[in-house]
Amino acid sequence: MGTLLSVLLSGLLLGGLYSLVAIGLNLIFGVIRVVNFAQGEFVMLGMYATFVAYNLLHIDPYLAILLVFPLLFVFGILVQRFILQRLQNEPMMQVFATFGLLMLLQNLVLAVTGGAAYSIRTPLSSMAIAVGPVQVSVPRVIALAAVTAVALILQWGLRNTMTGKAVRAVAQDRRAARLMGIDVERTYMLTFGVGAGLAGMAGALLTPIFTLSPQIGGNFILAAFAVVVLGGLGSVPGAYIGGFLIGMTEALAGYYLDPSLKQAAWFAIFIIMLIVRPTGLFGLAGAEEVGLRVQE
Amino acid sequence: MPRIRTFRQELPPLALTAVLLAALVGLYSGDNFTLNILATTFLFAGLATAWNILGGFGGQFSLCHGVFFAEGAYLTANMVLGAGLSPWWSLAPAAGLAAATAVLISWPAFRLRGPFFAIATMTFSEVVLVLANYFESITGGPQGMRVPFRPGWQNMIFTGRIAYAWLMLGFLLLALIVSLVLLRSRLGYYLQAVRDNEAAAEASGIDVLRTKLMAFAISAAVTGVGGSLFVMYVRIVDPPTLLTLSDVGVRFALIALIGGVGTGYGPLFGALLVVPLEAWLRAELGAYAPGSNLVVLGAVLVLAALFFKRGLVGAFQSLPLPARWTGRLART
Amino acid sequence: MSATFLSLQGVSKRFLGLLAVDEVSFDVAAGELLSVIGPNGAGKTTLFNLLTGQLSPSAGRVVFNGVDINGQPPQARARIGFGRTFQMSQTLTSLSVLENAMIGSFLHHRHISAAADHAYASLELVGLQHRANITAGELTLSERRRLEVARALALDPKVVLLDEVMAGLNQTEVQGMVDLVRTLNGGGLTFLVIEHNLKVVRQFSHRVVVLDRGAKLAEGSAEEVLANPAVIEAYIGKSKQ
Repeated sequence: MGTLLSVLLSGLLLGGLYSLVAIGLNLIFGVIRVVNFAQGEFVMLGMYATFVAYNLLHIDPYLAILLVFPLLFVFGILVQRFILQRLQNEPMMQVFATFGLLMLLQNLVLAVTGGAAYSIRTPLSSMAIAVGPVQVSVPRVIALAAVTAVALILQWGLRNTMTGKAVRAVAQDRRAARLMGIDVERTYMLTFGVGAGLAGMAGALLTPIFTLSPQIGGNFILAAFAVVVLGGLGSVPGAYIGGFLIGMTEALAGYYLDPSLKQAAWFAIFIIMLIVRPTGLFGLAGAEEVGLRVQE
Repeated sequence: MPRIRTFRQELPPLALTAVLLAALVGLYSGDNFTLNILATTFLFAGLATAWNILGGFGGQFSLCHGVFFAEGAYLTANMVLGAGLSPWWSLAPAAGLAAATAVLISWPAFRLRGPFFAIATMTFSEVVLVLANYFESITGGPQGMRVPFRPGWQNMIFTGRIAYAWLMLGFLLLALIVSLVLLRSRLGYYLQAVRDNEAAAEASGIDVLRTKLMAFAISAAVTGVGGSLFVMYVRIVDPPTLLTLSDVGVRFALIALIGGVGTGYGPLFGALLVVPLEAWLRAELGAYAPGSNLVVLGAVLVLAALFFKRGLVGAFQSLPLPARWTGRLART
Repeated sequence: MSATFLSLQGVSKRFLGLLAVDEVSFDVAAGELLSVIGPNGAGKTTLFNLLTGQLSPSAGRVVFNGVDINGQPPQARARIGFGRTFQMSQTLTSLSVLENAMIGSFLHHRHISAAADHAYASLELVGLQHRANITAGELTLSERRRLEVARALALDPKVVLLDEVMAGLNQTEVQGMVDLVRTLNGGGLTFLVIEHNLKVVRQFSHRVVVLDRGAKLAEGSAEEVLANPAVIEAYIGKSKQ
């Protein structure tokens, strides 16, 4: 009983991390219809930025969010403005461009750091609390709380603020939104900025948990893609809940099958989902059909 | 009157290409360093040509061609090491295995379009990487597999590097022939129709799924053969060598893009540029800082997506040359 | 003729809450030239999509030569004799004009040169033969519409569904298209035509079906239907005229 609880708890916490990375990816995807293959590298940049802030400015990783989010936000806006905006309606070129960005960022960091592994030790990072018989790592609980807050704020903002409504309008029908006087390009930049900022924030939250490496983005991005397909393309609650499903699957498979097969387990779920319900749990019907085809 | 290009008309340029590339091999026949680069260039040109069948003609952005490549490599390694067979016997089974895998994953994958297809195939590739590490009995696991050096024609292992250059040139020509025959066939036209507009294709009596599936299988089969040759060339393979996305699966696509996606000779041009460039960058920059060669390549990829959407072939077409010349390359 | 050539039996199509086509029934005889008219949003294009299999009906049956073809996908219907054009032209922009037509003619001509010859013949029908070797993406809108007709004709269809092919054509071109449809129809080819130009409808239709808000409002000869008060009301009440 204790083991199962422990496995489920670790799955839940892992799911929180996956949701964290997936939410930004799905936001960008849902609104701009761009699959950002470099999203994992944005997370990685967030981690390194947090590391730098901690070591040079002695800022606590959690406080560093205030620094890292705006940093990645601006970076995201630049990427959208100068790369992706030029490739609207060209899904194939978008894939190439974001994959090129992935290679560039990953290897840039590799070249600069020489591949050395870094990690941060704060008083919090090794702290654990007891839940019944199970010890739970505090940074993971914080990440879980953070992603819950982010999901709620994002969902609320999309529904209730004017900007949020504009973003949803653009996501639904770019052309109609334009006719309504919404500045589509600006909305895209904002969305991509927030998506990148969220990746940066995820990076800051992950820094106390994982050892930094230039390739670490790859560990999350695949899970994040699975989450996005599972939860529903373009849906915030979908990304949130999808993260837990993937996290749980991985934890259960890791414990009951073999730790090295955990990815294969969620891939199986991923494939079943594609066959049974390609729109995902919360996705808009037809999103995967329309794909990133020309919208106007 | 109707003027339509048939495969027969592709033969003279194809022969010319073969002669030019063979001359290149002859020119560097004493230079092992360059011969290695040529062999790799031809191999990747062939692989990118194979990818282009589905990705270029069909517009289906597969990122799992590394899986077919790895299947070919592992099948050949197992047949050679386990059964003591000549690797030549493994080429056809490698093609068959890869094609069968493509057909199998087509069913779920082609329910998705555009980038969704790319995501699904990428995930598939990553999972096969995990499985390749896990199933040590087939793949040797993370330690990899090593084919002992026993030179001989029947072993496909040669002491001179030039033999590999010829071997890979042969593979490239095979890939080009398959690709051009397809391009000038009914299936090739159907594939392009599906890429341009699925609704119009369906209304014209085209079974879209079947068309994509056939292209996927053919494309995978050629890629599988490439994997077989690769394992005999390098004689040591491990999962990352065969399945790392940016080194294998995505590289096929990258080369095709830089050369000119959807064109017959684009992938070849792309390989002629990218592979030597990479070798040079690795030699010049790799020692200076790890990964810096890939920084350059990543930047090239972004810039190519932005400014050379039609690749080298497209850039060549827009040169102010007589239409008679550029027209030759147009859509070839 | 024993079995009805083409028959719609209580066909409906529902999109979420919206009933786009509402229990529409009518028959089409072989060799007939039938126009489907109605105000914007009446469900005409949806009806065509139900006939050619791009959509499947929520209720009702489409019967072709006595066979229920509801379950058949578009490509199967093309094989049994359906040819169509799209309201939003669906040109294969990276292929040449001739190759576009060949995509149609491959259905019954596997060999490249036979397909090319047959495709060229259908380009001649619509008067695009002089453009055969240029890229279809370079065509004007009206040429694209004619190319779609050529591609549909290259299928050697038994029935052709034309969705507003006259839109964007100038008067000479419209007359050319009317003449072409009449000639082919005279040769026995069945046509279903969605058309906004009522003058054209009057000129060539054997029979007219009027749709309004998804339902069949009237059916009969062009004269009868266009004199029908309900039809006049639907048009004047709904459209911007």
